[in-house]
Amino acid sequence: MTAMTDLTALSIWQAHTQQRLFRRLLEAFAYPGRLLDAADSGTTARLAILATLLDGEVDLADPHGLIAPEDGLRLMTSAAAPEQARFVVADAARAPDFTPTQGSLESPEFGATLLLEVEQLGTGSPLLLTGPGIAAQTRLAVQGLHPEWIARRADWVSAYPLGVDIILCDATHFAALPRTTQIIREAL
Amino acid sequence: MNNTYELPLDEAGYAFGFMDEYAKKEVRRAILKAICIPGYQTPYASREMPMGRGFGTGGLQLTLSLVGADDTLKVIDQGSDDSVNAVNLRQFVQMTCPGVEVTEKTEAATLIQSRHRIPEKPLTEAQILVLQVPYPDALVVVEPSEARRKTMHGEADYSRLLVKLYEDIVKFDEITISHRYPTRIHGHYIIDPSPIPRWDVPKLHQSKALILLGAGREKKIYAVPPYTLAEPLAFEDVVFSVEDFRDALGNRRTCSRCGAADSFLDEFSDETGKKIYQCSDSAYCNERLASEKTA
Amino acid sequence: MGYVAIKGGKAAIEGAAAATDMLRAGSEYAEPLVLDAIEGQLRLLVSRVVSEGGLYHPKLAALAIKQFQGDTLEAAFALRAYRSTKPRLLETPPQNTAHMRVIRRISSAFKDIPGGQMLGPTYDYALRLLDLGLVDENPEDFRAIARRFLADAPDSELPDSFPKVLDALRAEGLLPPLKPVAGAPFDITRQPLIFPVPRAAALATMARAETGSLLAIAYSNMRGYGDVHPTIAELRVGYVPVMLPHPVTGEPMEVGEVLMTECEVVAMFEGDEHGSRPTFTLGYGACFGHNEVKAISMAILDRALQKGMTDGATNPSEDPEFVLLHVDGVDSMGFASHYKMPHYVTFQSDMDRLRTTQTKTGNDTARQKDSV
Repeated sequence: MTAMTDLTALSIWQAHTQQRLFRRLLEAFAYPGRLLDAADSGTTARLAILATLLDGEVDLADPHGLIAPEDGLRLMTSAAAPEQARFVVADAARAPDFTPTQGSLESPEFGATLLLEVEQLGTGSPLLLTGPGIAAQTRLAVQGLHPEWIARRADWVSAYPLGVDIILCDATHFAALPRTTQIIREAL
Repeated sequence: MNNTYELPLDEAGYAFGFMDEYAKKEVRRAILKAICIPGYQTPYASREMPMGRGFGTGGLQLTLSLVGADDTLKVIDQGSDDSVNAVNLRQFVQMTCPGVEVTEKTEAATLIQSRHRIPEKPLTEAQILVLQVPYPDALVVVEPSEARRKTMHGEADYSRLLVKLYEDIVKFDEITISHRYPTRIHGHYIIDPSPIPRWDVPKLHQSKALILLGAGREKKIYAVPPYTLAEPLAFEDVVFSVEDFRDALGNRRTCSRCGAADSFLDEFSDETGKKIYQCSDSAYCNERLASEKTA
Repeated sequence: MGYVAIKGGKAAIEGAAAATDMLRAGSEYAEPLVLDAIEGQLRLLVSRVVSEGGLYHPKLAALAIKQFQGDTLEAAFALRAYRSTKPRLLETPPQNTAHMRVIRRISSAFKDIPGGQMLGPTYDYALRLLDLGLVDENPEDFRAIARRFLADAPDSELPDSFPKVLDALRAEGLLPPLKPVAGAPFDITRQPLIFPVPRAAALATMARAETGSLLAIAYSNMRGYGDVHPTIAELRVGYVPVMLPHPVTGEPMEVGEVLMTECEVVAMFEGDEHGSRPTFTLGYGACFGHNEVKAISMAILDRALQKGMTDGATNPSEDPEFVLLHVDGVDSMGFASHYKMPHYVTFQSDMDRLRTTQTKTGNDTARQKDSV
């Protein structure tokens, strides 16, 4: 969908980089399960995504301390508890110990966006996915995603339109799981 | 009053894409949530643009938040690249987004902004369609209060809308909604698909391309993701139907310019008062003409 | 096989621009308007545009008025669009209008007030008789007006600021005490209005609303579609110093001033829910520039909306959704104007529906005739 223009030597804090990264995020959400590349951003996929989406208008929870203080300053977000924040960044290897906000019937968009850091995307246990954005079914292989996230997510998205939306990322790649995506876990 | 103040006479330096980066970020966040909640009208702060509310500022804010120097942009209004409003918008994007290519060919575009039509040629996964929306809410015809409408949408309570359609049928033996046909997305939210004709509604269903809808004045962004259910409202005995382009003898009218029998036709009268029918989609028409010449 | 040329949109737009500029330039002997003349001699027009544009820049407002040939909706729109492009540098702390350097300050609630009733520059008691002496105004006489006024001005100094009438009412317990509001004020340029909205959002929306829209709805309340029954406690017009903390010392410093109009109305008294003593209720209006009718309308609507938000709306002026979504000039004029855009595809669709329906009705009539 987008030409993979090399972002090397451009900063994730600059407009043109953020526009290109956003187009990849857009593709990730429009076509869930698709793997998108952030390796050319010059930093971790996690930080590249946060820099692209966040600013002083939203709040961020970082319960596992994944963001360096100087990056936190540049993001300009206010801090919030994981139960209230619009954005939460978390270590996917650890089981979730909070319930993110799922929005309300009148305002489901306040359901949180979770950025889960996994060990590796593209290898590991395959998730079988179906739903909007997926022609029939698609596979996403993930390594380092604690199974509790999948179980809890099923609860969080069970009362559509309420729900949470997830971005999975490793050091270099990312994929998105909107609340509308159904995960049919493959038997190992 | 500062008597020493002097107006800067040099051109105001606008950022790439005219909007400031924070405005774009807000739009981008709204776009992602809109995709996650298909058909839901996601509120956003909606900046003023140099063209009037009602002239496509919602679509424009989407385009300006999406577009980059890698893009090839097509802008149409009523299906035509040359309609005055399309020309105005396209020139504005060219002025504020140096490096962006523009095209009239549907298949060459990566980003298409359109008012009131979806191109005849099916879109691909490499394309994004942005539709300009005056009224984002299909329920506005039965409920003026936005707060009450939000509750109805959340609960997917569309009974009053269905009653209105039923009353139409009782009165006229037809569903009289022409454009802005209420369409249910992903089995929940019913959207106003913007003033596209019924002819274009089937293109929303299982589209390969992402479709984004922007209402600038009403400050809403919503989406029909690719490969998603988009079902126009109908009843078992009164099905959804598109516009009828048959003449009195039952023959399907064709475009007087390129001969197409499968496109939405504009109807107008020439100087002698004779009725003329032509493809609304000018690029489609031009392409057919060009291939006829080479054939 | 004839066909309609489908090129020409660009040329049409260029032609329209040339035609409007031609009308603006008029005769080849005319003089172009000087921005100073607009800012000075049409100051109330500039005040209106500054207020509706939501950007305090009188010189740019004068430019917009010149460029758009006096159309206030277009001029305010141009200012608003310009504002859109400016990044936000910072937000000021709340400014205290008690420090306003007033040029006009009156109260209808009292015969006299501390500091006095200062009529200032107003047409309220002027006779609306056209002054034909202004037709061929002599430039020398014109320039002498300001000179004479300043020469005649008394030597005694006016105080820098005047106390607020409402403070006296508060001290007496006739108005509820001021309650500090926690958190940042609602920013209508950053957050969409999702009802119910806080009072700050309503005030901000009205501060840059189109004057006629506010006036019409406020008037409906005054005439009986509502029961605010206002008395103006104070109306003041003047220059509010804009104070910012010094970047190093943190001391508040004046960085400039904005001309503002502020109106506080006292309305019917009501009891507190908790059964404590009843007090008057308050309506507040404030906007950039010298716009008295707007500030008064805004104060009345503030009171009406507060009532609507607590007790429910019994009239349109008390309904926040009805009022706040229909008073923005840029939104409303844009949409009114958009009807001039091509709508032939949707109209084609409408014709299809009507023809089909007519055919069906025609068939039914024919069938009925047959069966009789």
